[in-house]
Amino acid sequence: MAALKRVQQWATFARVWHIFDASWQNPFESAQVLKKYLMGLYKPIYHPMNECGDHVIVINSADIALPGDEWVKRVYFHHTGYPGGASWTLAWDLHKKDPTLVLKKAVYNSMDGNLQRRYTMERLHIFPDSKVPGALMKNVSNQIRQIRPMPKRLDEYTEKEVKEFPKIIDLPKDYILR
Amino acid sequence: MVFTTAINFIRSRGPDEFWRKRKIFRLAAHYIGRRRNCYSVTIKIVHRALVYATKGRQLRKDDIRNLRDTRITAGCEQHDIQPHEFKEGLTRCNILLNRKSLADLAAWEPHSFKALTDIAKQRLVDDEIKQPK
Repeated sequence: MAALKRVQQWATFARVWHIFDASWQNPFESAQVLKKYLMGLYKPIYHPMNECGDHVIVINSADIALPGDEWVKRVYFHHTGYPGGASWTLAWDLHKKDPTLVLKKAVYNSMDGNLQRRYTMERLHIFPDSKVPGALMKNVSNQIRQIRPMPKRLDEYTEKEVKEFPKIIDLPKDYILR
Repeated sequence: MVFTTAINFIRSRGPDEFWRKRKIFRLAAHYIGRRRNCYSVTIKIVHRALVYATKGRQLRKDDIRNLRDTRITAGCEQHDIQPHEFKEGLTRCNILLNRKSLADLAAWEPHSFKALTDIAKQRLVDDEIKQPK
């Protein structure tokens, strides 16, 4: 096999590591995107029997944003297996207990239940903040675009940028700004 | 044997019992236990298997179609075009490739596939369906 072909083959079948910043993102919409990378659905060589999925590192999962009043309406069910072992946890409660679980369950539920699902989930690494172990971080070669762009808060702008921001009107001198 | 009446002709229809059952047993040759040895069990299992085979013929076609759609979608995504726009652009250019050809090109001939997406994109821009980027 020619050297070029060999490299092409490596490049085709290598596992790519992606990083995704989950801050201010809807976990259920993000799950549809992450699933594509985890299962390798974005590659034209995809086949269900062909293990071409990639690794995805998700950072800032503590800062996810659920739509509407989902934090208080969404309920997660768990059963210990013993009689009377059922329990229902609200999303805000679950998020307080483990800030990675809401996103993890969203991704898990977005995929079909088959034997491959649990192995696919092994390739998803979720971190509640932006601190990722260096051993994982050095593999990363691609960043997945956020679904919603993160707006910049006013306190994140410098004084100078605020001053120079184009104004629609000049306020009158005696106008009191609070 | 000579039949004098039609009634007797009906009564003695079919091949010998052994050969009739053997046809069924042949289909069940790869089963294990009583399902390959006892005729009454075998016939049920074989009928069920034949039903599965009938349904499976359609399911296989559906699976392959879904897989090809997935591959075409993946290929389109790499070149920043929606699959339905891609299809529309190709149809307008009178490039009438089916799913199989497109999926094969996406997987095995990425450069040819890119050329097709470029054609489709350009056609959509020319026909003022899509704004150029």
